Amino acid sequence: MHVALAVGAFVSLLPFLTMLSTSLMTLGETYTRTSLPAVPQWQNFAQAWSEAHFDRFFRNSLIIAAVVISGVLVTCTLAGYAFARIRFPGRDLLFTLLLATLMIPGTVTFIPSFLLVRGDVIPWGSWINTLPALTVPFLSTAFIMFLFRQFFAQVPDELWDAARIDGAGHGRFLLQVVVPMSTPVMLTATLLTFVNVWNEFLWPILVTTDRTWRPLSVGLYNFTQEAGAQTHLLMAGSVITILPVLLLYFVTQRFFTEGISTSGLKG
Amino acid sequence: MPRPAANTASAPAERRATPRPGRRRAPWGEWLIGYAFVLPATLVIGVFGLFPILYALYMSVHRWRVRRGAFVGLEQFERTVGDGGGFALFLAGLAAVALGHWLWTRAYTERGGWLRAGQVAAALTLVAAGVALSVGFGSMQHAGDPRFVAGLGRTFFYGAISVPLQIAIALVVAALLYQPIRGRPLYRMLFFLPYVTPAVAGAAVFRAIFSPREERLANTLVGWLGIDPQRWLFEPRPVGHLLFGDLAARLGIELTGIWAGPSLALLVIILFGVWTYVGYNAVIFLAGLGAIPRELYEAAEIDGASGSQRFWAITVPLLAPVTFYLTVLGFIGTFQAFTHLYVMRESAVRGAVDTASLVIFDTFYALNDFGLAAAQSLVLFAVILAVTLLQQRLFGRRALRA
Repeated sequence: MHVALAVGAFVSLLPFLTMLSTSLMTLGETYTRTSLPAVPQWQNFAQAWSEAHFDRFFRNSLIIAAVVISGVLVTCTLAGYAFARIRFPGRDLLFTLLLATLMIPGTVTFIPSFLLVRGDVIPWGSWINTLPALTVPFLSTAFIMFLFRQFFAQVPDELWDAARIDGAGHGRFLLQVVVPMSTPVMLTATLLTFVNVWNEFLWPILVTTDRTWRPLSVGLYNFTQEAGAQTHLLMAGSVITILPVLLLYFVTQRFFTEGISTSGLKG
Repeated sequence: MPRPAANTASAPAERRATPRPGRRRAPWGEWLIGYAFVLPATLVIGVFGLFPILYALYMSVHRWRVRRGAFVGLEQFERTVGDGGGFALFLAGLAAVALGHWLWTRAYTERGGWLRAGQVAAALTLVAAGVALSVGFGSMQHAGDPRFVAGLGRTFFYGAISVPLQIAIALVVAALLYQPIRGRPLYRMLFFLPYVTPAVAGAAVFRAIFSPREERLANTLVGWLGIDPQRWLFEPRPVGHLLFGDLAARLGIELTGIWAGPSLALLVIILFGVWTYVGYNAVIFLAGLGAIPRELYEAAEIDGASGSQRFWAITVPLLAPVTFYLTVLGFIGTFQAFTHLYVMRESAVRGAVDTASLVIFDTFYALNDFGLAAAQSLVLFAVILAVTLLQQRLFGRRALRA
């Protein structure tokens, strides 16, 4: 049993090992060696970093992630709370409608979304190559909203009754009681959103034509086109791109997998 | 939180008298707060999630090259899948598969002659479904856009190979991880890593591994098995030809179309999909395993059931709802798969790995034909919906029963 698992884990890890060892090779070694480099070439990372303009892309991706995460947390907390705990006409219909977007493939939405962002549909001017183009469409997602609603629905009614008696309205109850006890689900949402933003690729290709706000994923892709045969630098660039996600995952993986398994089963 | 003390004192009495204090207040304020709270999310999801569907419909019936042109009705759908007859036949074929399956399971609830009749009817329906699927597909290929229809075919290949593989491996991994062994969290983490890895980076690594160069990992590994170096991502030829080409030629058979299988390049891309999703599926299976009552296993053990018997008689059927969920999710995922395909496709294979979503992207981005791309995306959406409904018919029942 252990053997089977170990073999499986090794296969799953193999691409990472290859990436790491190749990123430390000299250009010559990438043509002759399969396994490890003779002497690790740590300067590959610095070289890839500057050649691919990673400082710019890294900064962009971090800012985009920060904006999107804040937006998602605010909009989905409010909506998740309202759908879980406030009664108003049309609530269930609206919820179903919003949730239905989970069924709609991105392949269908990206074309009209592009025209929206370019200002062709609603005359708000073109957002191409600006921060809003990369953030606004992602400021709320039905999935996270659903995740929050499920969580908030489990908050005991007694707490709400007590808050009411203390004279608190929904806003204060949400801020002072519900949010503080929702750290796990908030962390899960933060991580899922971070990974999604960091990995987003199709959309940034469409809405960035220069380096101003281009994220790391597209930067790395362009580097694969430019660096071509310089596999060692390419792999160093890949390591740099993967590192933040992996670090975050290592630190918080408990919330991550828990969030996915609970939401996954209910979704 | 400063508040009048009198309020607190009277509170318990008040509560006992009126069990639902919220009911007394006029609901308007409550409604308003509700609407205000859902407004931001509704705006974003409405504008960028719901509205695009309607707008895609509007775009698909107009000539639209960068800017909107004349109304053209269904012309762009015809350019995509032919006059509609082929597409309808294809969808009918999918429906017939579901009907055939329904008849087949129904037959077993009947007795005697009806059982046989039901089985015959089911078999006939399935044959008809096969004919409808292949004739419909052929007609679409003939009358529609060959690039798109071929892309649709590749998408099916991709899903049909990748999803069962992902799920089967994940089930085994989950079953193993569910045993009380040391290092479970570590294993779980290792299997899950590929899922959080940015697809562009992962795909770049796969490109390096599956390079045609002899000293790269993939060719080194197959070299140990005594296989000649392969061209992998640069290989547009179908796997069937590579494996059985000589044999088929000797027997005078030509492997074509579906029988030749996907190209080797597409197979590498399928492998990438499996690598990415096994860990994710395993985590969800693990959650499902946790919900199976332990007593079932204990009872089976007392009855003398072996490990594999318990796996097939308890684990597999009780996990059916999870399997269904993962199958649907997996198919939707493969129909939408884009990033890793885009990164791993080499111009040398001349479109041999272009699935429907890549064809749509090219129509939009390279050809700048927005209207046609919108029509193609709606066709893909219809196919996704049909496949999801089909799966619901095939697995949903069993899932419900379990």
